[in-house]
Amino acid sequence: MDFLQSLGSGILSGLAYGLLGLGLVLIFRASEAFNFAVGEFLVIGGFLFYILYFGWHLPFLIALPIGLGAAAVFGAIVERLTIKPLMGRPALSMTIVTLGLSNILAGGLQATAGSNPYSFSLGLPDLTVEVGLLIYPSPQVWAGLLSIIFFCLILLFLYRTRWGLVIQATSESQPKALCFGINAQFVLLLVWAIATVCIGAAGIVIANLGALSYQTSLVGLRAIPVVLIGGLDSIPGALVGGLIVGVVEALTGAYVEPLGLIGFKEVVPYLVLLVTLFIRPYGLFGTVRIERV
Amino acid sequence: MLRVENLRVVYQEVISVLHGVSLKVPDREVTVLLGANGAGKTTMLRTICGLLPVYEGKIIEGNVFLDEKLLNRLDSSTIVKKFRATYVMEDRPVFWYLTVEQNLKVAAFSRWNKEVAADVEKVITVFPVLGSLRETKAGYLSGGEQQMLAIGMALMTRPKILLLDEPSLGLAPLIVRELFSIIRNLNQEGLTIFLVEQNAHAALSVAHTGYVIENGRIVLDGPSQELIKNKDVREFYLGAARGEQQRFREAKRYKRRKRWL
Repeated sequence: MDFLQSLGSGILSGLAYGLLGLGLVLIFRASEAFNFAVGEFLVIGGFLFYILYFGWHLPFLIALPIGLGAAAVFGAIVERLTIKPLMGRPALSMTIVTLGLSNILAGGLQATAGSNPYSFSLGLPDLTVEVGLLIYPSPQVWAGLLSIIFFCLILLFLYRTRWGLVIQATSESQPKALCFGINAQFVLLLVWAIATVCIGAAGIVIANLGALSYQTSLVGLRAIPVVLIGGLDSIPGALVGGLIVGVVEALTGAYVEPLGLIGFKEVVPYLVLLVTLFIRPYGLFGTVRIERV
Repeated sequence: MLRVENLRVVYQEVISVLHGVSLKVPDREVTVLLGANGAGKTTMLRTICGLLPVYEGKIIEGNVFLDEKLLNRLDSSTIVKKFRATYVMEDRPVFWYLTVEQNLKVAAFSRWNKEVAADVEKVITVFPVLGSLRETKAGYLSGGEQQMLAIGMALMTRPKILLLDEPSLGLAPLIVRELFSIIRNLNQEGLTIFLVEQNAHAALSVAHTGYVIENGRIVLDGPSQELIKNKDVREFYLGAARGEQQRFREAKRYKRRKRWL
């Protein structure tokens, strides 16, 4: 019983991690940069929604798209200001830029929003699932549900529309895309916007599990094992990595922490990551790159 | 007509690649640019197509005109869209992880409309090989098929002028012959083609005029029939010996360093 309980809640929060990972994977595929500012993107996505929903009292179904739209605009602006000037440079420089960006945004957030937590209960219809002794509280169910919906929407966009096709092509090779007349710079902008929507949506559902503060960005660190376990350039990998991290965390919380190892749950995803990388250096689903020396 | 005047190009501010190249590609003709490795052939094409910034290159002097309009500062997507000049990069620029059909569709993105599906069929009639491979990922195609797909993708942009960078690279002689007969057909249907090649035999057989580039300078130009007869071209590009057959032992390397003009 206990096992099923923690397995279930692990899967539910794992879906949210998967969505977070998807945002990182999209960016990595397109710019080959790892976005270390993911935690701040997550909090900003949450705050933009917070302003619309709790500040302006817009209905949920209106606040959500507008909030995510604002997140997309934010992602696009960040891309224009920090990533675009570096086009054609090594991907590492972009990664370093996101590190700096992460610090600036964290400071900016603390300066504007303060360091106190904002209570974040969405007041969505009660979806608490009760099966026998198992109870999955409503926010968790919503987190899983919304995440899977977003994940599917993004996948539909990527694999069923012509814009998705162009994103796939440009992610594979910018020079090739350029010579067939594809505006690669705009495609990159689009990718960053979409990835920020993913991360922002994950931010909203994660904040809904508790409260929102600038420290929620620490959840963003969880995205690192998620994408590295799944494979940095693999979309299914993001989902699987998310589920693995979610489940491992929940099980550790239920079985290992009571033994006296408080906080071990934060460490365990990295241990799993370490083992995964020993066995499959490119992650579970990552493309094994063929490099000739 | 594509016209290049006195073009000088440097990479990363220091590496000088083209030192004042001028050439003309008349409409509805095949023009070939011959040259050895590192002569600046690819740079020439990148410059025309506005891809230099991607490779940190810069035009420091000279102009590129297409139909009397200056292309120097335009970006690649404008050049493809407005001027309909499409560059097929060397080494078969297909998207490996997309299927053949997706590749063709994605290439038509700059002018997406209802005719795309019809154009895919048209390209497949030009390259019948691709017909049975529609759902295959392009990375699994053979070299010849990939090159045909790459040219097919370029045709999807409905070009007026096609810039081909070494289409024969790494292909079997039979495939090269097939490819060049397709190139000739495309030209007869009214497409202007600017061909960059190392395979002088094949290239001169389809071209109307030819230029020979060496170390970033045009050293020779003329109608391709004349170039084929030119003794320097014969020696350096067609592999024929000067006059009588030479013994390999007597072939001297320093002769390669000819001073043209």
